[in-house]
Amino acid sequence: MHGTKFARTIRFIAAWLLVGLFFFPIYYWTSVAFRNGRDIFSRPPKIFDFEPTIANFNAVFGISFEGGVPQITPGGGNFYMAPRLWDSIVIGVGSTLIAVAIATLAAYALSRMRFKGSHHFVGWVLSTRMLPPVAVAVPMFFIYRQFNLLDTYTGMIIIHAIMNLPLAVLLMKSFFDDVPNEIDESATIDGASRWTIFRRIVLPMAKGGIAATAVLCFIFSWTEFLFALTLTQTDVRTVPVVSTTFVTSVGTAWGNMAALGAAAILPAFIFVLAVQKHLVRGLTMGSLKQ
Amino acid sequence: MSAATNSGIKRSRRHIGDHPLPWLLPLILLLVTFTIYPFFYNVWLSFHEFAPLSRSLEYVGLQNWSQLLGDTRFWQSLSITLAYFVVALTLELVIGMCIALLLDADEPGFGLLRALLTMNLVIPPAIVGYMYLLMEDPQFGVISFVLQMFGLVDTSTPILSSPSLALAGVLLAEIWQWTPFMVLILLAGLRSLPTEPYEAAMIDGASAFQTFWRLTLPMMWKVIAIAVLIRGIDLFRVFDYVFVMTSGGPGTATYTLSYYSWQQTFSFIKWGYGATLSLVTLIIVLVVANIFVKFAKVRW
Repeated sequence: MHGTKFARTIRFIAAWLLVGLFFFPIYYWTSVAFRNGRDIFSRPPKIFDFEPTIANFNAVFGISFEGGVPQITPGGGNFYMAPRLWDSIVIGVGSTLIAVAIATLAAYALSRMRFKGSHHFVGWVLSTRMLPPVAVAVPMFFIYRQFNLLDTYTGMIIIHAIMNLPLAVLLMKSFFDDVPNEIDESATIDGASRWTIFRRIVLPMAKGGIAATAVLCFIFSWTEFLFALTLTQTDVRTVPVVSTTFVTSVGTAWGNMAALGAAAILPAFIFVLAVQKHLVRGLTMGSLKQ
Repeated sequence: MSAATNSGIKRSRRHIGDHPLPWLLPLILLLVTFTIYPFFYNVWLSFHEFAPLSRSLEYVGLQNWSQLLGDTRFWQSLSITLAYFVVALTLELVIGMCIALLLDADEPGFGLLRALLTMNLVIPPAIVGYMYLLMEDPQFGVISFVLQMFGLVDTSTPILSSPSLALAGVLLAEIWQWTPFMVLILLAGLRSLPTEPYEAAMIDGASAFQTFWRLTLPMMWKVIAIAVLIRGIDLFRVFDYVFVMTSGGPGTATYTLSYYSWQQTFSFIKWGYGATLSLVTLIIVLVVANIFVKFAKVRW
């Protein structure tokens, strides 16, 4: 589709304008993180002309510049959120490891072994992805209460791992489907067992896929709200849930909230860029290959 | 599972791990425990209700289900969820397709634009809710300010506390966050289309519009179906934006099914009724999604 030079220019400008429009809220939110209250609560709203400050990052993460030297002072303040970032990381990493490990085993079987009803099995895994979180969260709340799993890392890791299993299984299956079956067959003739083939040959060949699956699982855990809201109380709180605490009876600490938000977006974005090649396949749970 | 004995390869000799069950067992155990069990627990709970006096669950028979049918709030939240679903899905698909068509070119910098769009997808929806809560603030919000400048909203009508505008205010956050999801999927589809039909269409002198309707759209059908299915499943269970932006209000203007069910359970301690509501949400999603999968021939 090569148009005239004029058409190309129009397309170029329109694309930048539209994407710029979509990017604006992210810019604005990040800029709020670097503002003091006066520049947030102004009318007309300020877009670029604010006095930058890192006071919000000081309140939320204890980051300050004393005499030009960056310093981190842990603790202090009602809105000190570094431990909450840690909670999110522990739950994200833990649930991702479990989901990917279990999904990889299952996906290999679904990709390589034909058994009666395997198609229905895939359909069942897919339909567990359709469950509304609220329909799972309510019973889980009562079960967790019984087993003392409320407000624990273990409880959150389990629920986020389950939540990500359908995605991880279907996605890993699509990556294993890419590894030609002939490789398995020739290794079988050489006398290798299924387990050896899986561990020594297929798994290393699918490591890009495993990385992409892991990143997506981590991000879905990182951004999940309803389970974290329902199944945690005070000891363990993930970033999305703890954002609600910035809304107080005397007003909302927008600057602090934005600082936490900006810090939560950046690492997730870097991870996604690292596996961008497989992103669309991941978003469609393995059904579209790029 | 007893019949599941054969591996894909012709079995000349038995190998450890030829049977699929050991590979699938951890998955089956976890999924059964955490999806089948909650499902039946919900069903059981829907025939019970928490009694504040005895502080325990009491059997109430079909009371929750008959209450549901006569509950105007339920029907209201169902129609709000449907409206949210239809509007969001349509706009995300249409805007997403427009941007995808625009970005389907090898211009310098378009890779960067694609990367910028992926950023929306990694932001926790709860935080997106707060972003829009700030931007839609009647006094200090950028969006409100622009809308007031064009005379589209009154200075005295805050978007999120106006019964007629609140849902649109929530939808704005929704559409902003998830249109890029559509763009990325549709763009990947567009990029993988064969070029020959387009060359033929150009020789035949087809207009850009005709080419889109007669060529692009039919060839993109599978991609569109998958994008609609995955987005649709999530749209029907919307909770995060409503929770942080409006708490269902003003009045009941933004009550979605998920929010209503959550609130009945955790704010009003109506455990049985909350479970009934979440069960209804679940049934609707499962039925509609499975019909769609069959109808659109989506395959995994």
